[in-house]
Amino acid sequence: MDEPRERWTRLLASAPEERAGQPMRICRLCVDLVGVTGAGISMVTTTANRGVVCATDETAAEIEQLQLGLGEGPCVDAAQSHGPVLVGDLARPGDVVVDRWPTFLPHAEAIGVAAVFALPLRIGEIGVGVMDLYRDRPGDLDDEQLAFALLAADTAAVSLLQLGRDDDGEMRVERLAQSEVLIHQATGMVSAQLDVPVEEAFLLLRARAFTTDRLLADVARDVVELRLRFSPQEDA
Amino acid sequence: MTETADAGAARAGRDHALAETFVQLADTLVDDFDLLELFDQLMKSSVELLGVSAAGLLLDDQRGNLAVVASSSEETRLLEIFQLQNNEGPCLECVRTGQPVTSDDLGADVERWPLFVPRAVAAGFRSVAAVPMRLRNDVIGGLNLFHDMETPIDADQRRLAQAFADVATIGILQRRTVHRTAQLAEQLQHALNSRVAIEQAKGVIAERRQVSMVGAFEALRRYARDHNLRLTDAAAAVVRGDLDPEVPEG
Repeated sequence: MDEPRERWTRLLASAPEERAGQPMRICRLCVDLVGVTGAGISMVTTTANRGVVCATDETAAEIEQLQLGLGEGPCVDAAQSHGPVLVGDLARPGDVVVDRWPTFLPHAEAIGVAAVFALPLRIGEIGVGVMDLYRDRPGDLDDEQLAFALLAADTAAVSLLQLGRDDDGEMRVERLAQSEVLIHQATGMVSAQLDVPVEEAFLLLRARAFTTDRLLADVARDVVELRLRFSPQEDA
Repeated sequence: MTETADAGAARAGRDHALAETFVQLADTLVDDFDLLELFDQLMKSSVELLGVSAAGLLLDDQRGNLAVVASSSEETRLLEIFQLQNNEGPCLECVRTGQPVTSDDLGADVERWPLFVPRAVAAGFRSVAAVPMRLRNDVIGGLNLFHDMETPIDADQRRLAQAFADVATIGILQRRTVHRTAQLAEQLQHALNSRVAIEQAKGVIAERRQVSMVGAFEALRRYARDHNLRLTDAAAAVVRGDLDPEVPEG
């Protein structure tokens, strides 16, 4: 049952590359494992600038730019709804979608995009960006392809959060979306202790784990069990 | 005579509560409903109406794993996670096979689940019943009941639990039938992410109000109910700093 996760983790770790290249590597892996024509990632957060982080080809880049420019499309909806938007056939997208994307749909068709799968890059209330996968011919994702796409989005969310930071990120894919309740609770606590957004609280927790050479989950447990506090003077 | 009248009244009372539960479950299925509300309701109904000690809910996370998305107590949540981590236990077995799994006497099933049984017994449970959340061939999760009494979970309780699970499953899979994967993904992933947001919000409240995580969740839920907000939306507002719910007295 663990098969997609193990395979994803193994493949991601098998080609070490500097961290700035990780989003691109995630996109390339998606092309192989999810079976799509191309993939792209955009940063869409409340604090940071919006922009295309990477794309595996021209069309994928255009899909990202198009939506950032128009303010409509699957990636915009995915970011707003906090859930994936999967359209296996843009020519038959359903009434709701046609109403919502009047400009995006003809543009997408014109550049040869037949299917789009947009996945929000999120950790709870930490919104990081969106990943778009596209196909040049229609076709839904099957269960295994969806599993890889979701795993890719999990990884990309963590990876994007770390971009532009000094410390060296671990390649280990932490199962953030799973049972790591303590990490999420600690993120909330640190956010309240320092009066900073959850994005920042999460990064500070990770940084603390890294500089003290401990697991993020262990640092989180110390926070939740009140053995560790972050103070505005030292940590913010 | 009096006994019969009492029994009759008790039954009528329970039937009424049961009808009420199905109405509430159905209510959560209107457009734009919050899956987490449905799960929360499911836990509450299982414990209060079925009269079991605890309940938990596992869902397919669509990445090849199961996730604990709701539980009636922290202890139950940990017991569910324990099953996932050790890859063993009745709830896991139920979701994998798509069939109900029961143990009327956990002590006698220690060979079947050598890791799970000691842990469940230590938590005070004596019997377990797990029913699948299944629509035709798709198993998307399971509802699990735990009981600490001498009397095991009976067939009536199991039947009702299956009915609850069926209503919830239909709720999740209702909207479209053609793009099943897409629909399920939209719903489940949103719910899984909301689950995370609620944990973040609990952390914020626990720190601000200096209360336990349980107290923090109670405050969040109380606020959402009193103000007719979805739990997910209330959590988001707390994390953004727009909302600072008071902790109920006592």
